[in-house]
Amino acid sequence: MVTEMLPVVLVHGGAGQIPKERSQMSTSGVCSAARSGYLVLQGGGSSMDAVVEAVTQLENNPSFNAGCGSVLNITGEVEMDAIVMDGKTLASGAVSAVRNIANPVQLARLVMEKTSHACLTAEGASKFARSMGVPEVPQESLITDYSRMRWKKNLVPDANPVECQMGKMGTVGAVAVDAEGNVACATSTGGMLNKMEGRVGDTPCIGSGGYADNLVGAVSTTGHGETIMKVTLARLILFHMEQGQSAEAASDLGLAYMKSRVGGIGGVVTVDPKGNWAPRFSSLQMAWAAAQNDTLHYGLYTGEHFTQAIDDPH
Amino acid sequence: MSAVLVVHGGAWAIPEELAQASVDGVKTAAREGSSVLRSGGSAMAAVEAAVRALEDNAVFNAGHGATLNIDGEVELDAMIMDGKTLASGAVSSVKDIANPVSLARAVMEKTSHAMLTGRGANLFAESIGFSTVPADSLVSEFERKEWELRKKYMKGVAEDFKLKLAHDTVGAVALDCAGNVACATSTGGIRNKMVGRVGDSPIIGCGGYADNLIGAVSCTGHGESILKVTLARLILSHIERGKSVSEASQLSLQTMGDRVQGAGGAIVVSPSGEWAATFTTERMAWAAVEHDVLWFGLEPNEKQKEMLHQ
Repeated sequence: MVTEMLPVVLVHGGAGQIPKERSQMSTSGVCSAARSGYLVLQGGGSSMDAVVEAVTQLENNPSFNAGCGSVLNITGEVEMDAIVMDGKTLASGAVSAVRNIANPVQLARLVMEKTSHACLTAEGASKFARSMGVPEVPQESLITDYSRMRWKKNLVPDANPVECQMGKMGTVGAVAVDAEGNVACATSTGGMLNKMEGRVGDTPCIGSGGYADNLVGAVSTTGHGETIMKVTLARLILFHMEQGQSAEAASDLGLAYMKSRVGGIGGVVTVDPKGNWAPRFSSLQMAWAAAQNDTLHYGLYTGEHFTQAIDDPH
Repeated sequence: MSAVLVVHGGAWAIPEELAQASVDGVKTAAREGSSVLRSGGSAMAAVEAAVRALEDNAVFNAGHGATLNIDGEVELDAMIMDGKTLASGAVSSVKDIANPVSLARAVMEKTSHAMLTGRGANLFAESIGFSTVPADSLVSEFERKEWELRKKYMKGVAEDFKLKLAHDTVGAVALDCAGNVACATSTGGIRNKMVGRVGDSPIIGCGGYADNLIGAVSCTGHGESILKVTLARLILSHIERGKSVSEASQLSLQTMGDRVQGAGGAIVVSPSGEWAATFTTERMAWAAVEHDVLWFGLEPNEKQKEMLHQ
């Protein structure tokens, strides 16, 4: 338990079963993102700035299911969802089923800051992006050989895309507390492998993909979207924290409930306004990394918790 | 424990010229929904029937009579949730569909997903032979005139609500004789909204939530405010901690007012049959059926009753 509030940024790169050949990329990706977020905090940036920076890095990293590297929908195209939430004001911004932009998390932030709305979808989101001068990028720039290969593989009738997806291509997210004690969350994803066109999962749904409240804490989730939505996982975890549970205990309670009530597994990153943080998951693995007090923490399997000085090369 | 159905037709400063039609509309919808329950139908079927009746009624901002976005088009959002399984279905920003609540139910029952948006939602509708209607047929004279007025004066969303002229969402909650609860919410959204704006209505935990262990809720009011506090889920969290349906609703609406300066309303039913219709706006048209009694109201603290068969 920290007695003095130490700013922290905690990121995840997806919960599931990451195959060995991809685990190194996942781990280095989240570490890099955590470092970037931390630099923002050190430079006096807000928790919102930090989570957006961290998630932007993960969107730009083709190893993750967000931005570049997003999974493909059933027609072989990329449709992305993202959310940001500001714990100070409870304001949020989200986009769903948006196409042809590199950084949905940034567009989500623009929705929050430049409109009187909290969520824009599909064509409307693109229209808004154009009005904000956000560059349109070709589909091809977001599609990797890996995502195309996975898509093709899951076109066969007896494929199980949900199982195939878990962890190999993870939703990304981050939570942070800044020096002023403000919390924020951000989550971004390409969604479910081979999803129907226009399918929206938990990610852009406030309370499910993420939630942030200065009075309680912030959460970003990952896992099977439809299951996370059933229990509004982010909000559920924060209800437990409101009742006095720690970030870790609340996260475990939420994940256990999701498993027992609706049979779903996933992962979360959770932080409280005092800077206590917990990466928790009910899947085999979740790539995560945190930066606090000049220390980088990271792990992949349950129980793993490696640390090194933040400036040490990974 | 007997079956209960509660409906709302929107929480806002309903003007005099719409007051009677609003009250008549919710009463009709409550009768429709409760007859499903009375013949042994499920809570899901009941809330769908009630919300369909409200969508078909052009006086409400859902389906027919939905408010127009900034481009003068109708874009609809809806959700439905089954308290037994926690399964839900939702559509956002869907066009040319007269009954989005039914399309939302189809998403839940015919796909492995919980929400479809935009063109994808329309493609799905086509794929299951769900009927579409011409865009114009959903536009009421009232809304066309309002849109033209707004276009002229370019008033923003927040002002709109403060001016208390915002039209609103519809919804229903039900408890059936098997003890299952369900909720459904449907809307055209905020007048003059940006293209593709999604409010609280189709978002699980915000526009509605249903859980056999706690209860079912459907919300209405300023969408962006409801989203900030995940109003439906917030109300249920208070019930989980021992509050009555009424107290839970009041506390949560109070929080929404205090923290984010938003006003709205909610209808709630518990698995034991307690129900409440609560609002912090000037008016909310609502109706409920329980034990062959039809309750309804419009003004704060108003609760009138009629025998169901009269």
